[in-house]
Amino acid sequence: MNGAALQNIRTRRVLREMTAEAVSREQIEAILEAARWAPSGGNLRPNRYIVIENAETRRLIRLVAPGMFQRAPLLILICTNWDVVAENMLPADDRSLLIDVGTAAQTMMLAAHALGLASGPVTSYSKEAVKVILNLPPAYSPEMFICIGHKAPAARPGMRAAKKITWRDLCHWERFPNH
Amino acid sequence: MSSNWVLTEDEAMELLALLITSARIQLEEPAHYGPLRLLTATERLSGMIVERASDSSREFLQGNIDTIPDMHMTMADREAYRARLDELCRAVAQCLLRSSSLEGVE
Ligand SMILES: Cc1cc2nc3c(=O)[nH]c(=O)nc-3n(C[C@H](O)[C@H](O)[C@H](O)COP(=O)(O)O)c2cc1C
Repeated sequence: MNGAALQNIRTRRVLREMTAEAVSREQIEAILEAARWAPSGGNLRPNRYIVIENAETRRLIRLVAPGMFQRAPLLILICTNWDVVAENMLPADDRSLLIDVGTAAQTMMLAAHALGLASGPVTSYSKEAVKVILNLPPAYSPEMFICIGHKAPAARPGMRAAKKITWRDLCHWERFPNH
Repeated sequence: MSSNWVLTEDEAMELLALLITSARIQLEEPAHYGPLRLLTATERLSGMIVERASDSSREFLQGNIDTIPDMHMTMADREAYRARLDELCRAVAQCLLRSSSLEGVE
């Protein structure tokens, strides 16, 4: 059993305060490579990853992203490439598309954490505004940003859950009784 | 009353973008995110104007708005959140009163 992997999963938290220090090219590539190994429905790999380091681009994105509290030195935008969806005749409302975004997001955040970096996902932004700012090809839809950077020394803890949640609260064993 | 200019055009546009995009994304987000966006806008506006504001406004901003980021974290505690918002409303009313012609009127 790989205890380090489980410990990495347990200790990753969404962080919303980061320093301005850049993420190294090596680290960025390690995170992108990790995303390549995330599971994908039908192994179709409809995700595309846009890497954004340019300060002015990041500033503009933050202006149209009310849910982006981070001033992250690195943004990775997970897009769905709808050409891949069409080529494979997948219905546009197939849920595996969003699940693919989720598996990639979590894999990248765990990779970032393993590299000692802070990360956080953001879906609260205007998709239309982001398309304009990034000049996205028409086939790409912007599904989720992953903010990545170095943890600020005095970073506040994230949002507290309304009540403490344990894994047992989320699980049920075997068949349900009659209801 | 003060007729100070406290915002630049860029700052005003930044705030405008935040408000428009918040209105749009709220259509698909939980209802309680609405106030959160308004508080984010409040916090950004405060950050923009605090240095140029009058002494009385600056005192209000520094004493009250700085604590907004902590409020995001306590949203789960409804009562504490409501109480903090009420406190903010009282403080802003006092600040408005101080700079009005009613100041000192019994
Ligand atoms: C689909 C999804 C969308 C999210 N969108 C945002 C967002 O827009 N802004 C934000 O600050 N956090 C966002 N989060 C992060 C959650 O708030 C966070 O995962 C949750 O509070 C639990 O924190 P933890 O991962 O540190 O345990 C999102 C998470 C998910 C899974």
